[in-house]
Amino acid sequence: MNAVHRSGSWDRRRRDALAGFAFTAPAMLHTLVFMLVPAGAALYFSFTEWDMISPARWAGLRNYQEILFDSDLYSDFWKSVRVTALYALLSVPASLVTGFVQAYLIDLLRRGQAFYRLVFYLPVITAEAAVAAIWKWLYDPQFGLINAGLEVVGVRGPDWLGTPGVVIPALALIAAWQSGTAMLIFLAGLKGIPRTYYEAAEVDGANRWRQLGHITLPLLRPTTFYLVVTGVIAALQVFGIVYVLFGGNAGPERSGLSYVLHLYLFGYRNGAMGAASAMSVLLFVTVLLVTAAQFRLVPRQYEG
Amino acid sequence: MRALAKWVAATAAAVSLAASAACGGDPPTDEKVVEFWYYQPTPEQSKQVKELLKRFEETEPTITIRLTEIPKDDYNTKLSSALGGGRGPDAGYLDQPLMARYANAGQLAEVPAGTITESDFYDGALRTNKISGKLFGIPLQQTTVALFYNRKLISTPPVTWDELVAESARVRRENPDLAGVNVPKGEGFGAWVFPAFVASAGGTMLDEGNRRIAFADPPAQEALAMWRKLLESSPRQITNSENPFHKGLAAMMFSGPWEVLAIRQQFPQLDFGVAPLPRKDVAASNIGGDNGVVFSKARNPDAAWKWLRFLSDATHNAEFSNITGNFPTNRKSARAAKINTDPAFKVFVDQLETAQARPAVPEWIQINDEYLAKAIEEGVDGGRSPADALADAAVRARKLLGWQ
Repeated sequence: MNAVHRSGSWDRRRRDALAGFAFTAPAMLHTLVFMLVPAGAALYFSFTEWDMISPARWAGLRNYQEILFDSDLYSDFWKSVRVTALYALLSVPASLVTGFVQAYLIDLLRRGQAFYRLVFYLPVITAEAAVAAIWKWLYDPQFGLINAGLEVVGVRGPDWLGTPGVVIPALALIAAWQSGTAMLIFLAGLKGIPRTYYEAAEVDGANRWRQLGHITLPLLRPTTFYLVVTGVIAALQVFGIVYVLFGGNAGPERSGLSYVLHLYLFGYRNGAMGAASAMSVLLFVTVLLVTAAQFRLVPRQYEG
Repeated sequence: MRALAKWVAATAAAVSLAASAACGGDPPTDEKVVEFWYYQPTPEQSKQVKELLKRFEETEPTITIRLTEIPKDDYNTKLSSALGGGRGPDAGYLDQPLMARYANAGQLAEVPAGTITESDFYDGALRTNKISGKLFGIPLQQTTVALFYNRKLISTPPVTWDELVAESARVRRENPDLAGVNVPKGEGFGAWVFPAFVASAGGTMLDEGNRRIAFADPPAQEALAMWRKLLESSPRQITNSENPFHKGLAAMMFSGPWEVLAIRQQFPQLDFGVAPLPRKDVAASNIGGDNGVVFSKARNPDAAWKWLRFLSDATHNAEFSNITGNFPTNRKSARAAKINTDPAFKVFVDQLETAQARPAVPEWIQINDEYLAKAIEEGVDGGRSPADALADAAVRARKLLGWQ
């Protein structure tokens, strides 16, 4: 009896395991075929000279060496690193702040939360090409709505996408406008804070600001940490918006030359897929290091 | 290591092509099928191309051409991925500056002797098909740039560089809100237009025979200095608005025939004229366009060459380039074409006679879009002298080409 029971449970466990594998198989297959294999291939090709149409030739570490140290052949590499770092530095805080403000205000509402959630999330689900077209018009130096608005208050606006120093702030503004994802996650975080804390604080006489600084923000730390980590990873890989706005020209004085745009141009325009693969490996390592550093340095939990 | 390399390459190719692997099966044996890739035209143009194809297939009943339309912006990316994975088309368009890269990689079939008569074609367009003296394609359509001017602001278009600079300054003086010229920027397009001005001052870009960079020589410096001068009367704050010429913000621009149709359709109120590019010493222009090539792994190369010959012959070339909004490459066809009766287009046709082919080195796109573009930006908008900016670009090009 006992033996039969045991073997039956073992059978069921095996069946469960099989079912589990069957259910996760599509996702695992996807990861294997579309992520791990290409990543492995990129690692291999990063050690070759390859233009995609002739056989790859082994080049050892030459790609890495030239990308990092030959400023004649890769004169814009470090520029693209600076552009991307600045973009991450500006866009991540900008979208976090706007995302939080949106979430905080929505959370205060008694009714109509769903409506505002939808409205603030719309920019995220809008096609990137459409987003770029809209902002191109908003930023137009002659007829743009933004400069027209600034003129009303007596400020002469810059040529947003035509002045090298203004391009990245202008891109960060777009990122802030597209902060719907941060808004949703912050909103979920806010809902997770028990109301009793606020009631207790009110009894103690704490006003809204003190509640925000001493209850809301500290308790949102895990949420904020998650958003910082994923936001930085996404910002370091920014490509779509700059590609649609500037194309291969990358903006005035290549001020919009993001790392991935630079990589893309080498791979697909210059026929240097080996070097582009090396750049993607360098980016991968950088993202890994930056993320590891954040896990060490950024406070993840509230330890009040 | 080599086995691993092969495995990795094969797997990568399989992955990159998983999307396009849904192509049809193999055809019956007596029928010759040619898979032909070209830029996705508008639906109306697409219909016209299919009608043209129907006429070809009536004369060649055993040949079937399978047209595949690819958006122009994705074309080069898709083509190199497909060929890299061994599943490319049999024949198709190839952008002029890519000819050398594909020919050197062994991806292109040489044009069989007797397929075309070379003297039928415009020299500039034909030469874009020659790599190390061998012919690797047939020019199908071409384009160039000319001077567009706003008739409300300019009564007689400038003929010389001096007149151009003076006209630009006058427009700006009389209309403080307007720019004289939409001066090309330091980007791919500007670098593509630039050689026309260099040639007009008597220079060239590369001396391939002697492995020497020529685009830092005095003619190129003069051309860049002239653009810089134009910028004084053409503020970017004005011309950075979208389509500044079309909207009447800039009195002149250098651009191609595609703008003629675009302006007539979208900015019908603009009264504009087209004139040859102003010159310094000699009349000169640049060239762009597409060649028809047959890939070395094509299943039915004979059939493919017949199709390309059809598209480029005296009877059909003008019709084909009319459909796609370009110019014929076949002289006989050009003379018979409708475009000669339209004065705006006539300027471009005449200018194609003086068109300068781009240097036939595989690295030219990179030199154009990166090195020259940067030199133009620094020498026109930036604080550097044209000579210094071009000299830097030359150093980098020399290194890239290995012409030490």
